[in-house]
Amino acid sequence: MGKLEGSDEVGVLPDKVFEGVPKASYGLLEALRRVQAVYGYLPPEGIRRAAEYVGVPFAQAYGVATFYHQYSLEPIGKYRILVCMGTACHLRGNSLNIEFLRTFLGLKAGRKTTEDRMFSVEEARCFGCCGLAPVVVVQKPDGSNEIVGRANPRTLRALIERYRRQERGGAK
Amino acid sequence: MTWILLDRCCEKCTHSLENPCPDYIECRLSGPLCHDDERCRELRRRRLEELRYGEKGAKIKVPMASCTLAMGAEAVYRAVEDSVKKMGLEATVAISGCYGLDFIDPWLELSAKGMPTAIYANVKPSDVPRILEEYFVKRDVGGAFALKEKTGAAKGEDKVPLLSELGFWAKQYRWVSRNCGVVNPESLEEYVASGGYRGLSRAFKLGPEATIEEILKSGLRGRGGAGFPAGMKWRITRQQKATPKYVIANADEGDPGAFMNRLLAESDPFRIIEGLTIAGYAVGANQGYVFVRAEKPLMAKRLQKAVEEARRYGLLGKNILGSGFDFDIEVILSAGAFVCGEETAMIAAIEGKRAWPRQRPPYPAEKGLWGKPTAINNVETLAHAATIMAEGAEKFAAVGTEKTKGTKMFCVTGAVKRVGAYEVPIGTSIRTLVEELAGGPPEGVRVKAVQVGGPSGGCIPASLLDLPLDYETLQSAGAIMGSGGIVVIGDENCMVDVAKFFLTFTSAESCGKCIPCRVGLRVMWSILDKITRGEGTEEDLQVLRQLAETVRSASLCALGGTAPNPVLSTLRYFMDEYLAHIREKRCPALVCRALITYRIDEERCIACGQCALNCPASAISKTEGGKYRIDESVCVKCGVCYAVCPVKAVYKVSGAG
Amino acid sequence: MVKVKIDGRVVEVEPGTTVLEAAEKAGVEIPRLCVVPGLYEGSSCRLCLVKTPAGRLFPSCNYRVYRDEEFLASTPDLWEMRRVNFELLLKFHRIECWACERKSSCPLVELSKELLVDGIPVCSECPLPPNECLLLKGELCLGMIAQSGCNAECLVSGGECWGCRGPITREDLLERAFARYKELGFDVKDVVSKAEIYWNSAPGFATVKKVAERVGSRG
Repeated sequence: MGKLEGSDEVGVLPDKVFEGVPKASYGLLEALRRVQAVYGYLPPEGIRRAAEYVGVPFAQAYGVATFYHQYSLEPIGKYRILVCMGTACHLRGNSLNIEFLRTFLGLKAGRKTTEDRMFSVEEARCFGCCGLAPVVVVQKPDGSNEIVGRANPRTLRALIERYRRQERGGAK
Repeated sequence: MTWILLDRCCEKCTHSLENPCPDYIECRLSGPLCHDDERCRELRRRRLEELRYGEKGAKIKVPMASCTLAMGAEAVYRAVEDSVKKMGLEATVAISGCYGLDFIDPWLELSAKGMPTAIYANVKPSDVPRILEEYFVKRDVGGAFALKEKTGAAKGEDKVPLLSELGFWAKQYRWVSRNCGVVNPESLEEYVASGGYRGLSRAFKLGPEATIEEILKSGLRGRGGAGFPAGMKWRITRQQKATPKYVIANADEGDPGAFMNRLLAESDPFRIIEGLTIAGYAVGANQGYVFVRAEKPLMAKRLQKAVEEARRYGLLGKNILGSGFDFDIEVILSAGAFVCGEETAMIAAIEGKRAWPRQRPPYPAEKGLWGKPTAINNVETLAHAATIMAEGAEKFAAVGTEKTKGTKMFCVTGAVKRVGAYEVPIGTSIRTLVEELAGGPPEGVRVKAVQVGGPSGGCIPASLLDLPLDYETLQSAGAIMGSGGIVVIGDENCMVDVAKFFLTFTSAESCGKCIPCRVGLRVMWSILDKITRGEGTEEDLQVLRQLAETVRSASLCALGGTAPNPVLSTLRYFMDEYLAHIREKRCPALVCRALITYRIDEERCIACGQCALNCPASAISKTEGGKYRIDESVCVKCGVCYAVCPVKAVYKVSGAG
Repeated sequence: MVKVKIDGRVVEVEPGTTVLEAAEKAGVEIPRLCVVPGLYEGSSCRLCLVKTPAGRLFPSCNYRVYRDEEFLASTPDLWEMRRVNFELLLKFHRIECWACERKSSCPLVELSKELLVDGIPVCSECPLPPNECLLLKGELCLGMIAQSGCNAECLVSGGECWGCRGPITREDLLERAFARYKELGFDVKDVVSKAEIYWNSAPGFATVKKVAERVGSRG
């Protein structure tokens, strides 16, 4: 299941996308997650589809989609960079790391995604890996997570350059 | 196919999923119970040995939990598999959870019949062939970090300490975390082999009322933070007449710096599942839910796997162990909201709504999920319940304090040498935890304060480190036990900045339902921000206190109710730092950007240019003398140069520059 | 029936009645904003908090009594808490009474009087509806930037407001007010001169002048 390349057109998602999701109110969180995994964010039609699948009103699902941190109603980057803002990570320098990332990627005035939609930088809550503070987690386009422990501007810069090289090279 | 402990030993065994035997669990270890046969006993003995040393008599254990995975455990695992194949070793490669000793991640544990079990620390994939060669071929354990026993059979045993003698292990009382790092978290068989599910089996034999009595007798208090007696919560829920009832495991561990629940769920998930099943049986609920924090997906994955395995062997489903009790569990992964840790907000989330808390009373025990009686317990509490039912209430209550019995898992992070999760009896002093277990601060750092209880807790100054960790003492000191996260703050941190940091967190996590929290926390934050920029006044401190009081008492739920604690405790113990910012426009710890200036010591500078290369504001350039200098008019005080300079030539001074 | 004692007054009510309903029956006034019976359960605004003699706080709109209980609804600390809470609510409220259709029936205006909170302009008390505002007739009324609380005596009698109760110092409100003065053709300097008559030694006058200058110097 991939993102609809090249356009923001949203089709109707087949039931297969929601395989394993309970058709009950407590399935809503997962249903929305599945929609976001397809489009990279939650378009209104996607929210409607998720609501319909689990059986809750659209307005209620919209309320949920706008409430939780992990959902984005605007497109997010191909590489989603989450900077842990937990206590240990803050004390060990993640406030500096996130500022560095935003400046380095040219993200100004609250924007969280780069122009080319390649990267987005967001604050995240604690991942529970405090032994490696400061922690940065990258959600990659293939669905896997890369955890960067003891992050600093040097390693982060190298990380981004590596991703850019991979993208340019086309090969994975 | 290999016979496993969970299988029937012979034709005489009457157990099946359709017709379960109530003694199934006891029989796994001490059976056969319904008939006498040496071959059946031998079957079990052999299998237990296989589980201990692997089917080939030698085992290599690789921990696969979030902490170790982040440090490259997967690559180590592959290296182990490779080496075993290349060397033709007769050894089983197995996975486990983690001991909680983050400072040795990733580690390896090697065992073989006749050899002492050895733990190797901070293993890189390139170290693997050498380690395996030393242990299995040369039979030399000299390079190990610690040994679990001494047999006298291996070389170099005298060079390596016993784990049980090392400070960070000896002082622990690993009651609920006993299996963490020991068993394969995905194996129900290993859980049962370690004594698992005896608790549920005993609960069925005692009946629900007597089970509640046992938990009450143990004195178990909720380990999620509130400390409410678990037995009482179950009793109240049981007494309600409305049906159906529900039980929920709160796995939404959201406190930054707390990973006890994560460790338990990733390393010993069956214990939590068993605890939730016992809770369901005790209160009369046939459906349980586990609600897991979004940022910790491996927890959900392991718990889900455990649920599926339990179903497979009839420990979830209909007529469990012939008790007549039906029970099943649904694992739900959240989507990112700290407020979900609040029980009524979690209920709203499971109901598919925005996670808004509800006013209590009525309490969830009376009107919870879908308006029905619901018992919600923290994951650690449930793990304790399962262990108490298996081992007995007296054993649990043998440690602890007068008011609070038993042990608690604490995570010590921040400015310490040995970041990790440690389980100690309640009443252990903060100093023991921070200095003896976690090794105290690293070289050149002094401990200034200790944050206990996360963003809901308070900062305790270093002078009070001898305080015991128990609910009442911590509360009167201005902190709370919370979920057990302890962050050690060194003297290079600013306490006003720390208070502001926690408010940044809580104000962003505020659900927005009530005025004091939604608005009050933001206003408090802006006052702290003013102070850190050197624009604060003493009147601001008065307003801050008044707001803190209002937010604390008027908020709807505990998020707002406890959010002012870091502010109140820092005002109480670190007023000198606040006053320095206000009266002298000075940040004693040289943290608050508006009040410091970065400079380069040109004598120390080796002209490597790293600072200039990494400066986001392009404020650093080479002087005629060849060394680097910061243009203070352009500098944004981000601190990157300070962090990347290899010779520490960049330094900070007071003053806005 | 159960007996509920509120501020010393005892009433008998059906079990399941809220403390707020019981208080109404007992003649005790408790401020509230968010509860809408049948629609919203309340407990959000926190203005209706009452306390037990032991000191525990509960929102009266939501707490249902099922046995004899006692509550205190009017202690000084409760009123202080309500005042701070209300100020917090006002802080991010877009105060623009001169354009608001609800100004004659606004619960925030009532609460500001009850809780003695400043910051609401005279327009909230002015009997003229927004489309009959004196400013539209070219008369320089200081109502938008003046503190209410006088019951708008001058406006009731047909004249314009001179701001005798003092200036409002909230900058976002002043910005919008001066922008409107400009829009309607007034010179901000004239506004300031008229205001100076009563405000020349008022501490907040400096803020008023600062914002006036800022808005005035814009294109």
